[in-house]
Amino acid sequence: MSVPAIGETRRTRQPLRVPIVILIAALIITGVAICAVLGERIAPDSPFLQRLAVGDTPPSSVHIAGTDLFGRDVLSRVIYGARTALVGPVVVAAGAFAIATLLGLVSGYLGGLVDSAIMRWVDFMFALPVPLVAIVVVGVVGGGYWTAVLVLVVLFTAPDTRIVRSAVLEQRPLPYIDAARTLGISKTRILFVHILPNIAPIILAYVVLDFAFALVNLAGLSFLGLGIEPGTPDWGRMLFENRNILFSNPVALLLPAGMIILTAVSMNLIGDWLFERFAK
Amino acid sequence: MNAVVGRAGQEGPLLKVEGLAISDGAVPITTPLNIVVERGETIAIVGESGSGKSLTARAIAGILPPGINATGAVTLDGVPLMRLAESELRKIRGSRMSMLMQDPFTMLNPLMRSGDHIDEMLRDRPEFASRFARADEVKRRLAEVGIVDEDVARRMPFQLSGGMCQRVALAAALARDPELLIADEPSTALDVTTQAEIIKLLRRVQRERHMSLILITHNLRLAFSICQRVYVLYAGSMLEVGDAAAVERQPFHPYTLGLLLSEPPVDIRVPRLVAIRGSVPRAADVLDSCGFADRCDWAKQICRTGKPPLTALDASRFTACIRQDEIQGELDALRTAALSAAPMTPRRGETAGALVRVHGLVKTFVGERGRPICAIKDVSLHIMPGESVGLVGESGSGKTTLGRCLVGLETPTAGDIHVNGIAAADFDAMAKADRVRVRRTIQMIFQDPFSTLNPRHSVGQALGEALGASAGATSPATAERIASLLAKVGLSAAYATRRPASLSGGERQRVAIARALAVKPAILVCDEPVSALDLSVQAQVLNLFRHLQVEHELSYLFITHDLAVVRQITERIYVLYLGEIVEEGPTERVIGNPQHPYTRRLVASIPRSAIQRAP
Repeated sequence: MSVPAIGETRRTRQPLRVPIVILIAALIITGVAICAVLGERIAPDSPFLQRLAVGDTPPSSVHIAGTDLFGRDVLSRVIYGARTALVGPVVVAAGAFAIATLLGLVSGYLGGLVDSAIMRWVDFMFALPVPLVAIVVVGVVGGGYWTAVLVLVVLFTAPDTRIVRSAVLEQRPLPYIDAARTLGISKTRILFVHILPNIAPIILAYVVLDFAFALVNLAGLSFLGLGIEPGTPDWGRMLFENRNILFSNPVALLLPAGMIILTAVSMNLIGDWLFERFAK
Repeated sequence: MNAVVGRAGQEGPLLKVEGLAISDGAVPITTPLNIVVERGETIAIVGESGSGKSLTARAIAGILPPGINATGAVTLDGVPLMRLAESELRKIRGSRMSMLMQDPFTMLNPLMRSGDHIDEMLRDRPEFASRFARADEVKRRLAEVGIVDEDVARRMPFQLSGGMCQRVALAAALARDPELLIADEPSTALDVTTQAEIIKLLRRVQRERHMSLILITHNLRLAFSICQRVYVLYAGSMLEVGDAAAVERQPFHPYTLGLLLSEPPVDIRVPRLVAIRGSVPRAADVLDSCGFADRCDWAKQICRTGKPPLTALDASRFTACIRQDEIQGELDALRTAALSAAPMTPRRGETAGALVRVHGLVKTFVGERGRPICAIKDVSLHIMPGESVGLVGESGSGKTTLGRCLVGLETPTAGDIHVNGIAAADFDAMAKADRVRVRRTIQMIFQDPFSTLNPRHSVGQALGEALGASAGATSPATAERIASLLAKVGLSAAYATRRPASLSGGERQRVAIARALAVKPAILVCDEPVSALDLSVQAQVLNLFRHLQVEHELSYLFITHDLAVVRQITERIYVLYLGEIVEEGPTERVIGNPQHPYTRRLVASIPRSAIQRAP
């Protein structure tokens, strides 16, 4: 069309249609979340009770997913393990984006020296390999799970800052910002009342994607024996502990592995969909 | 043009479009349309945005976007185009019928040299089998569209200006000597002076080749100035068809009259533009009534009981107004009244006590590899209280930068700006109290109505914030104060809860004006405030500006490229060219008797005034 089509654009808002894949993904995440909240209350057996005399057994009517080397019920451990699988990534995603939003807004809007300083820091962080730094820091400092979470928060902040900054730069030259400036509205208000709501969809989409990355990273650290304390039911840790009984009770290995993949993929799908739907 | 011989010479019109109806799935975009183009004739399809004019052009050429389909019959020289297979159609496109699009930059392949675009079209011809023959022909073709610099053929599209690109595109479209050229807003994306050149070129080429031309445009002046017949399209229906001269002299449909009257005339300043209220409806919403009924002053029940057909009044005139015979007298009277309206007399200005005074302003940007780009070079101007001043120039003249410097969005490199006696060149260096006072004196209206409002804030929130920012919060932004602000710009209080996405362009621009008025400014800097609006809406907003000027004793700095708009709203103008003021003076004098060559070119580039006096 020629001149911008005034008055006819966006008059009809399409009703929100959620694809079936996204519904399934959301269902899986809800299931994992319920397990994380209720934990031992819905687990069929205690996740900690050891039956050394029983040892590892394949799935049976008593233990649906069988038992591990110490005779602990695998299904209960997987249900209980949802807690560490969710809490850490949630903290990482929320924490990283809280910091990144602040830095990105300031960096993108103010520009100049502040922007350069923040961006050089981001560049430096980009040069660090995430898993390696996490392994070194957690290994040297110790402190287990929460140290790992903290390290990931710091490492994830860098790319997220860049995302927020570029979103801010997109809004910055728009006339509504200029109009607010000519009205003499304060910088803080422009940043948080005008710009932030407009870039919120992008942030939300990336928070979800961050969650999936954090989940895989934390599981990886647990597998390496860093992070979670031995004995605590955790999906990554279970991969490590049960790798020796792969042939006597494969479910003890495949179930937590499957859960990691399912949760991460579900979160990724939801994040991608949110991005396509709202942030573009 | 030897190739044309042998095809032409048949009887009947070149192009016949019968019952062409376009729809988007089940949603109709146009009602069945009939269009006839004789050999060697130039017709215009005139319509505002959303009227379906571009899609009609695409339907004729058979290049509708996916999902949009058309029914009916398009016959080119006896060949039914709509029934042809794509492979057959491709042989016709380009060789018998070509298209010229609006945006010259996206129409050319960015990775192909400009000469190759023409070369590509010539390849099929046996006489241009050799590379050298083609190179010679490319040179000849470029010369035909006024490009004599041989180097142009070797340049990439991005190295050419918009006007040059459009010339190359025209040469490519003409390379196979089509009998019919469809030009879809060929000049809209260009600067005013370039626009005039391209139109002149199009007209010359059409005459020389005795080619048929369909010009798709929203610009009535343009249509009347170069076309023999005019089709007026509105919300997907043809409202009036006829001889260009006859339609211009005596329009038969209220919409055509409204369009003629709402287009600001260049030659005189009318006391009040006649605006058509409301905005263009969608075709699907007006299936069973006259599309214009809701905006028409003469609409009766009968207009809403069915779609009025296009009926012939004489051999060459058609109108879709069923009440035409009853209301023609009134239409003619309105037209005469507009023609005889007394021009407004500008006040003769003094310069002491200026509200805004700019002296020796320079703004330099840092360009590629630190190279300085001079946007404004030594500009001085002043604006008196209550005075409306125009700043005219093409894109790249620095007019927007100047406006942004005035409101503190840019800091000038050198020079002084005094607003109400306060030095306001560098907003960061000013005392806070001064800054607040300047902000309350000068406000800005932006060009793009779609991004001038925060999409996440309701109208009420936006105005409330502006009210809070203004008075130093002496009184809270109550619902009544928001309602009274909305009333000032002609909107009802109910708009406070609406979001920008649900408003039309004109409504958004009104809200933006209300927001600027919240701080009770003395002067508004308006950067092309109506250029993105439909013609009929543009007149409404211009009237609002005038009305507000009287009511609030506002001053304006009206930044625009449109001399007709400037004529209607300003008393004095400055002409800005490449960052320098080349001419200034009372609007009437500068437009009536331009001195500087650039101003003369600018004035000459307007096709002609919409108001043509009856012979």
